[in-house]
Amino acid sequence: MTSGAIDPAGATADVIIVGSGAAGGMAAFILTKAGLRCLLLEAGRDYDPQKEVNMMAPESDAPLRGAATPDKPFGYFDATVGGGWQVEGEPYTMREGTTFRWYRSRMLGGRTNHWGRHVPRWGPYDFKPFSRDGHGVDWPISYDDIAPFYDRVEKMIGVNGGRIELENHPDSPPGCLMPPPKPRVTEMLIKAAAENIGIPVRAAHTAVLTRDMPNDVAPRSACFNATPCARGCTIGAMFQTTTSFLPMARATGRLTVVTDAMVARVVMAGANRAAGVEYVDRKTGMRHQAKARVVVLAAGTCETTRLLLNSAPGGLANTSGQLGRNLTDSTGASFRAYVPALANRPRYNEDGIGGQHIYIPFWLYKEQKNGTLDFPRGYHFEIGGRFGIPPAAALPRVWGAGLKKAVRSASGATISLTLRGEMIPNKDTFCEIDPTTKDRFGIPVLRFAFRWSQHELNQVAHGQRSAHAVFKRMNAAILGPELPPEQLITAGGEIIHELGTARMGPDARSSVVNSYGQTWDVGNLVLMDGSIFASGAHKNPTLTILALALRASERLAAQMKSGAFA
Amino acid sequence: MTFSRRTTLQWMMAAAALPIARWVPPALAAGEGTPPPFDVIADWPAAIPPPAPAKGYGRDPDLTKPVVPWPLTFTKAQRAMVDLLGDLILPADAQSPGAGKLGVGAFIDEWISAPYPTQLKDRAEVLGGLTWLDAQSWATHGAVFVALTPAQRAELLDALTVANPVARMTAPVQFMDKLRYLFVLGFYSLPEGKADMGYIGDQPTPGDYPGPTPEALAHFEKVIGQMGLAMPKA
Repeated sequence: MTSGAIDPAGATADVIIVGSGAAGGMAAFILTKAGLRCLLLEAGRDYDPQKEVNMMAPESDAPLRGAATPDKPFGYFDATVGGGWQVEGEPYTMREGTTFRWYRSRMLGGRTNHWGRHVPRWGPYDFKPFSRDGHGVDWPISYDDIAPFYDRVEKMIGVNGGRIELENHPDSPPGCLMPPPKPRVTEMLIKAAAENIGIPVRAAHTAVLTRDMPNDVAPRSACFNATPCARGCTIGAMFQTTTSFLPMARATGRLTVVTDAMVARVVMAGANRAAGVEYVDRKTGMRHQAKARVVVLAAGTCETTRLLLNSAPGGLANTSGQLGRNLTDSTGASFRAYVPALANRPRYNEDGIGGQHIYIPFWLYKEQKNGTLDFPRGYHFEIGGRFGIPPAAALPRVWGAGLKKAVRSASGATISLTLRGEMIPNKDTFCEIDPTTKDRFGIPVLRFAFRWSQHELNQVAHGQRSAHAVFKRMNAAILGPELPPEQLITAGGEIIHELGTARMGPDARSSVVNSYGQTWDVGNLVLMDGSIFASGAHKNPTLTILALALRASERLAAQMKSGAFA
Repeated sequence: MTFSRRTTLQWMMAAAALPIARWVPPALAAGEGTPPPFDVIADWPAAIPPPAPAKGYGRDPDLTKPVVPWPLTFTKAQRAMVDLLGDLILPADAQSPGAGKLGVGAFIDEWISAPYPTQLKDRAEVLGGLTWLDAQSWATHGAVFVALTPAQRAELLDALTVANPVARMTAPVQFMDKLRYLFVLGFYSLPEGKADMGYIGDQPTPGDYPGPTPEALAHFEKVIGQMGLAMPKA
């Protein structure tokens, strides 16, 4: 591998940040605000939601009515640029007999431009899972360490939500959350039925503004209750770094952004010190080097790990041997039902703030502790069901006037419960460098191995029983057969909550980084994305990624100001 | 897609974004099923020639100027047949025009011409089904489908929508399931179809989300009352 010339753009940087998604955006914002000069390298192209998002167009304007295709897996108007389950010329491989799906985009702002926006806080149990049930490892930090950062992140990115008041679901202090939207009729019915059989339903925490968020540089408006969020949001109601952290960091005059910069490896100045990175200009294929006092990797869990594995034989910062290991995704399963009582219900506008307004948090911590459940870790249900085109399964096999009547009647009468659950790391689930395959830039690619264990299968089977019990309580017709969990559960990676692979821990023997993402082996090399998670609770990870990145960035800024890594 | 990216997408988006959901598969008890009202059942066509290679719209299309880059498939006769089927499957009534008249046949053509795996599979099913339908029309009535009388067409469509077809009718019934749902998707995603469903939305509504109307709430209270459920607390 030949090394390129020093890139003048990075010549004066204090910190190189690789990746511009949730963690990279937070790092750029905090570090530039602290007076540090940052060079942000983004593998994807430049992206401006204001110019590129087609927010209002009906699906009928799009090819195939906007349906999902391999080119655009979440529909034509989805914000994802240049990626999806595959990126042209940038493959990944799998160990024989295993399946893993890796969702990537190639755009400024990364996957914050099109994400789920469900941002529950993790609770005390989620940081000490080993102490609770003997599986996996504990985090080196507790909920109390992270809570003040949750408070601040909720205010920084704008989160709406209500009180939960349940075990292991910490509530936010006053002033952190914006008011949540009212529930829709379908959601109220799920709440009525679920709570009747002992399953709680609460206002979700969602990273969508319900109040304006004034800012001199990047003002953001409250949601106007229309348009699908996954297209991106030109009014800034949904949090994405391209309408918040990145413009705010640029306004300091201390941020240089280089897009189409595919980082190939970390360049070392000695055994324990990073000098910078080498990257490929995706447009020209030319290699460049950029140097700085500190390198921050926030390329996304598996991409960050790939970089480290490609930076030294056996992997850089891998004294522990944990690099690439402890990979997890959330479990997933979807359940749908047709509710006859909702047929022909009165029409009104159910767009709301885009996604769910309320959800089912995990409610069985006591039973879990007692040992009365056959799975150790929790799950939650996200709630769906709106007016719109009914699914085929909710329509009778008829033609003519009867079909039109059936569509009118069934519109708004189908509901869904979508499970997201915790996976426990296992030895058969990891990523490594493929010994032969390289991407179009000549960079060795990742090879995945993935396996759900019986813990996850039992959990999903329990979820099916719970969802069906809720449906039955409202006399609904369950759509789709009852299935064994092996057939219900999503493929590894499909929920796009990949975490772990460079976990934090108490020491260099058992972990790759400390609780601030600093690698044990290389002091000026800091990881800030989902790779550093020691476990992956069922609760969606982005709020925790942001809180950890905020905590790590402020500590890094303080260290650098006091002369560290000079 | 997580992104609702995944299930957090609008329900309509989700309906459009997922591969077309399967109709409940016919319950096939061995040797049983509802026989069609004709003695001779035409053979399902052996093979549909593959389309000329075409490119999709790629992973980074200009979202502000959507275009369909692949060439269409239907001959004039096929399109006329599909338009006729559209007006039979979703006929004009007081609330909306027929799906054929509204031009949803163009969407069917766009769909079955697309160079993606789901659509390539649907192409074989739809083109095969159109061929079969004409062959069956010939076998029973000595004329192509569009030349049949309304009663003859209705008899065929009834035979293609039975709950439990005989084995030899399974493929034709699955073709009709596919075609019907493509018409549902193509029709109800148009402004005329949304209006037919009484769909309200897609309009910026600044301020707090208003929630259900009093009428919708009154209906909801009635529904949960009948289920013996209590009104949920806010």
